[in-house]
Amino acid sequence: MKKAKSLTRQMLLASTLAVVSWSGAVQAEDAPGMFRSEFLKGNLGWPEVTAKARAEGTVNFYYWGGSDIINLWIDQVATPALAAEGVTLNPVRITSTKDTVDVVIAELAAGRREEAGSVDLVWVNGENFFSLKQQNALWGAFADRLPNSVNFEWDESDPRSLLNLRDFGVETGLQEMPWSGEQYVCSVNRAHVPVDQTPATFAQLKTYLEANPGKFTYVKPPHYLGNTFVQSVLYAHNPDGNGAEPYQKNFDELGSAELARLMEPGIEYLKSLEPLLLGGAAGNPRYPENSDELDNLFLNSEVHFDCKFGVFANHNGLITGTYPEQAEEMIFPVGNMIKNKNYLTVPLNSPHPAAALVAINYFSSVDAQASKLQAAGMPVGLDLWRLNDEEVAEVVAAAPPHYGITQQELDDNIAPDTNASLVDVIEATWLAVIERKDNKPLADIVAQVSGELNN
Amino acid sequence: MIRAASKLRDIKAINPWQRLLVLAMAVFTIAPFAPLIIQSLAFRWAWPNILPTVWWFEQRQRSPFPLAWDYVFSPSSRVVEATINTLGIGITVTLLCLVICLPAARVLGQRNFRGKSQLEFLIALPLLLPEAAIGIALLMIFIALDLAGTYIGVIIVHLIPTIPYMARTLTSVYQGHGTDAEDHARVLGANRRQVFFRVTLPMILPGVIAGCLFTFLVSTNLFLLTFFIGQGHIVTLPTLLFAKISGGALDATGAGIALIASIPGIILLIFTDRFIRNYPLAE
Amino acid sequence: MKRTASPAFMQNLRDVLEVTPLLVVLLGLFGGALLLGLLQSFGYAPWFGINEFPTTRYFERLWLSSDFWFSLGLTLYYGFAATLIGLVISVPLSIALSKRFKGSRLFSALIRLPLMVPYTVGIALALVMLGNGGLLSRISAGLGLIDDPSQFVQILKTHGGCGIILVYVWKQVPFMTLNLSAVLARAGDDTVEAAMVLGANSRQIFWRVTLPQIMPGIVSASLICFAFNIGAFEAPLILGGGYPDTLPVLAWRYFQDSNYAFQLQGMAVVVSLALVSGLFLAAYLQGYRRYERARGRV
Repeated sequence: MKKAKSLTRQMLLASTLAVVSWSGAVQAEDAPGMFRSEFLKGNLGWPEVTAKARAEGTVNFYYWGGSDIINLWIDQVATPALAAEGVTLNPVRITSTKDTVDVVIAELAAGRREEAGSVDLVWVNGENFFSLKQQNALWGAFADRLPNSVNFEWDESDPRSLLNLRDFGVETGLQEMPWSGEQYVCSVNRAHVPVDQTPATFAQLKTYLEANPGKFTYVKPPHYLGNTFVQSVLYAHNPDGNGAEPYQKNFDELGSAELARLMEPGIEYLKSLEPLLLGGAAGNPRYPENSDELDNLFLNSEVHFDCKFGVFANHNGLITGTYPEQAEEMIFPVGNMIKNKNYLTVPLNSPHPAAALVAINYFSSVDAQASKLQAAGMPVGLDLWRLNDEEVAEVVAAAPPHYGITQQELDDNIAPDTNASLVDVIEATWLAVIERKDNKPLADIVAQVSGELNN
Repeated sequence: MIRAASKLRDIKAINPWQRLLVLAMAVFTIAPFAPLIIQSLAFRWAWPNILPTVWWFEQRQRSPFPLAWDYVFSPSSRVVEATINTLGIGITVTLLCLVICLPAARVLGQRNFRGKSQLEFLIALPLLLPEAAIGIALLMIFIALDLAGTYIGVIIVHLIPTIPYMARTLTSVYQGHGTDAEDHARVLGANRRQVFFRVTLPMILPGVIAGCLFTFLVSTNLFLLTFFIGQGHIVTLPTLLFAKISGGALDATGAGIALIASIPGIILLIFTDRFIRNYPLAE
Repeated sequence: MKRTASPAFMQNLRDVLEVTPLLVVLLGLFGGALLLGLLQSFGYAPWFGINEFPTTRYFERLWLSSDFWFSLGLTLYYGFAATLIGLVISVPLSIALSKRFKGSRLFSALIRLPLMVPYTVGIALALVMLGNGGLLSRISAGLGLIDDPSQFVQILKTHGGCGIILVYVWKQVPFMTLNLSAVLARAGDDTVEAAMVLGANSRQIFWRVTLPQIMPGIVSASLICFAFNIGAFEAPLILGGGYPDTLPVLAWRYFQDSNYAFQLQGMAVVVSLALVSGLFLAAYLQGYRRYERARGRV
């Protein structure tokens, strides 16, 4: 009996030791950072960068891996091309860019600074770039210092440079390089919707849905596709009639009361749309979580429209079999088809910064951009007027076709993105009013959510 | 006597309701795989068509890039990497688990001591607490220890839900066969190593195999802990499939990956039927 | 069994040494996770620069919101419904499979298939079968019952959660059946035979003989399945009705937030979940013990 007791005691002792042995503390490291400071000071030429890149060997590229055709382009075109430059591209597919931003911020918080992180290169824009910038988690102003920077307009006095210098209204500070220029485009299933019934405005959409209830829905905010739909609604319902203009200001400039006033009619429209959305008749409107789910609803005729970022989304949907056979693009909402760019950026603690710069330089080349356009249906991020005729011809030849509309019509209906500092507030307001059915006056809700966000 | 014998036959006879239940459950289990196979072969398959309007092999020649199974079998799908990871992690976890549990199981199965039932309860506890709780709590520690997103981290965390199964199977094996044979061998002059390899091991081998199979099965099917601790860096078949279907839609490549992810289980089912039938998992 | 002191001591030492690795892993990993989770939920996270220990504000904020209670109810509902339906199917199924009939081995192998594949495969099957654009909806359309996918009964993406429950049932019936079959096989036919000889009808045999025999198997299998169901994340995330989510999904969403304070909030969710699970576990075991005592077994 005594022995059994001592056995138990020893087991207890062993277990206590095991628990005690955990240590949560993380030690800060002294990071090198030499390459970064020298490059940013302008002390390094491109040959030195490529030499360092070859020495580093790898670049860990974090990108949204939800598209088979983009994955194929990365694996079959980009990886071999970079291998020829002595850099191994290590593509890390992620489902949400925010996760990667969080990893970077967490690493920095844990004291893993220059060259001590795990992420070299991220495909990013809008809120995620804003988060990185706010947390001082960016590597630096490199965008106009690469050989292929000549393909982009950096001159601030030229208004066409806006999308290269501002990402959702936030100054990029040359800390990210444009990768692709996208526009929010809706497709319509011609098997159900004849041309003369195709809505061009939000009012017409509502009329259509009153006749065909349940045949529309949009991706749920906080997904950026949902946010963008909400933003275009807000532009179109701006009580001052100046559309996107006030939404270019940042939150501090605009103020919560003014924002609430601007948003009121748009939010009212979204509320009135709810019963007409998919499942809305039963009091349970269904907002898909992402574009895959929306595409599937569109394919199965559960909805007649599919809105998402993608100048060539219709083409991509047809060649992958994810869109119905009679899908066509439409101009909707007239004058408020939000266009923006998405970018490549390097986090502050990138373990292979030189290789990341070499990779970005490759991704910014005319050849890479044209082949990405052709193979993956991703519009180019570079500016055509900066190219010579031969290069322009290469890009034009690579572009997939449009269905039912022209590129010119798309260009004629461009609207800018919303300032990133407002996006969070708008999305939180949507969640409060639409998702949680908060009935307080809109001004109070906006004040409350913006207060919570700033904490 | 004769009456009792006829009753005896009755005990083992199946009644029509039971037959129906077995049939219905077999259909419920197997039938959903049919549309999964069709989906994996489809190019465009929209409501309300019962079969695809355009099959993958019809579109195959026209498509500039690999579709459906062509994509699944291309390096871009990561299926090979995920399969290797799944099997590699499964085997490592199984061996590690065996090494940890085998000695403890002998003690639990053959010795009596105070606190034994408490210890048994402790071993069962990982099965009785929600996986999400364990996963998220551990993720914090693993990030701090730099184990998040590494193979080592994933292998360690796989031990949590597998140890209960392994420990219980092995304990019941040791309980079943007492110490007499080993005592005899020792009396006859066998040394410890000889006793283990010549006497103990042959006796416990079927149970060890069963325990290893369960462990391997649990490890290869584990999603949540791999996903949380792997941080998306460690791709296994369940996490690869999750990434494909997390949008709530299933396309041809997703269906193909789902079928691939089922193959290890189906193989195990065919080859290991008799081991698994003889050992209960829970208790 | 009288031995001299020294070998017995050596034997005990050996026992302890042999149990140690298991204990280190279990207590180190599992106990460590529990301890740190608990500490964090009370505001201890110095590695994020947060140390308010001990504060109850994360629990207060959580428990005072009505959404939390809805989430908890939802989590428990999915867990209970799936476990209960699973048992209702598994008990007769295991009895049926213990009979001798043609193809019994094949059928029991077929029914065991879901045990061998990941849950994510079950979710994929649910998507392709049960959605409004899924195969069942298409068959209904083919039969002329509906002429638009929206008319098909919504199984996925609702808080009714039929899709989630079906996936759990699909996956867990084999697990439960396998356990119950093993218990049945061990119990043998003797008692049933005796009851038959004594003239009991089949209903009496089930309630008085078979069910008590397999009760331990029912208890352990249902405990494991219930704990899994309330802690699972992938099925409610993909097949569920969205906001308000089940507790594991809620915890994951909090944990994904770059704001670290939310991570502690997520930990409070996780601790609440473990607490609820522990309470049910204790109550269930208590009830079972009383049942056993009433039967005079303990």
